Amino acid sequence: VTARTTHLDAGVRDAMRALSAAAKEGLGDPALAELVQIRAAQLNHCAFCLDLHLKVARKHGVSETQLDRLSAWEEADDTFDARERAALALTESVTLLTESSVPDEVYERAAAHFDAPRLAHLIGLIAAINSWNRLMVSRRIPAGSTAW
Amino acid sequence: MTTHDTAHVPVHDSANTTAQTSDHGAPAGTGRAAEQAPRLHWPKLAPDVYKAMFQLETASRQGLDPVLLELVRLRTSQLNHCAYCLDMHTKDALAAGESTQRIVQLSAWRESRHFYTEKELAALELAESVTLLTEGFVPDEVYERAAAHFDETELVQLIAAITAINAWNRFNVAARTVPGRYQPGDFS
Repeated sequence: VTARTTHLDAGVRDAMRALSAAAKEGLGDPALAELVQIRAAQLNHCAFCLDLHLKVARKHGVSETQLDRLSAWEEADDTFDARERAALALTESVTLLTESSVPDEVYERAAAHFDAPRLAHLIGLIAAINSWNRLMVSRRIPAGSTAW
Repeated sequence: MTTHDTAHVPVHDSANTTAQTSDHGAPAGTGRAAEQAPRLHWPKLAPDVYKAMFQLETASRQGLDPVLLELVRLRTSQLNHCAYCLDMHTKDALAAGESTQRIVQLSAWRESRHFYTEKELAALELAESVTLLTEGFVPDEVYERAAAHFDETELVQLIAAITAINAWNRFNVAARTVPGRYQPGDFS
């Protein structure tokens, strides 16, 4: 696979980095942030993003079992705790906006596990990874590429 | 802090509901449903994230035709069902002189191609496939059609702008930002 284009405006790149950094900082849970970002990248089919976030997840000590079962987290309730499950459910519905809105039960479940500032940052993180997914898939940036 | 951080937070207190018009909410006696409350004041709760979003917004619109940009934002907001974004971008498009007809036809643009330029059509098609990532990749023919109308720099800006409106859609749907009260110029 070769990239369609590796061009990206420096201002866009800086803004995206600021968005992700702010969201991750405010969420304050690096391992969970990686689970969220990997799950969104799975739904959006972003090879570059999956490659990158799987590496970062392992660096943060996310277990191989969690990574193996992430795409079937609803069937793996012994592998993900209630807080992780609430975050993953929110990730899926905020990513799948074209299919439905964000249901009250999904939102309320997340609000029960995350205080308002953390919830706002979690939504920010989901929006940020969705943005990276779009920037990378559209330009067809290959997994592992350093030119993007 | 940018001026945007304090200029407008799209969440309103209950005192404002007494001044409702037919444009928003449920004026007494119309039988309309009650206005839903927003879930989360996200710009206040995550000002750092909000600031970065405006940075992305400003950077991504550089070099793009504002008329084309509003069409792309509207079509993307339709696909993502973002009520607040539809309210805002419909008003912005009308204020900038866009025709009602082109706005109304937008969700059926494949059947009403003669209302749009070939360049706008290529941008709308790209916006749809970049928005519908969960359903598949961005097809080569869609990308190539866009690349025939936009040079590389402009095309990447268009992708960035589609990305930015997708992000705004996600914030405002998740936070259930209330549509109806936006006025053009609120953020400028």
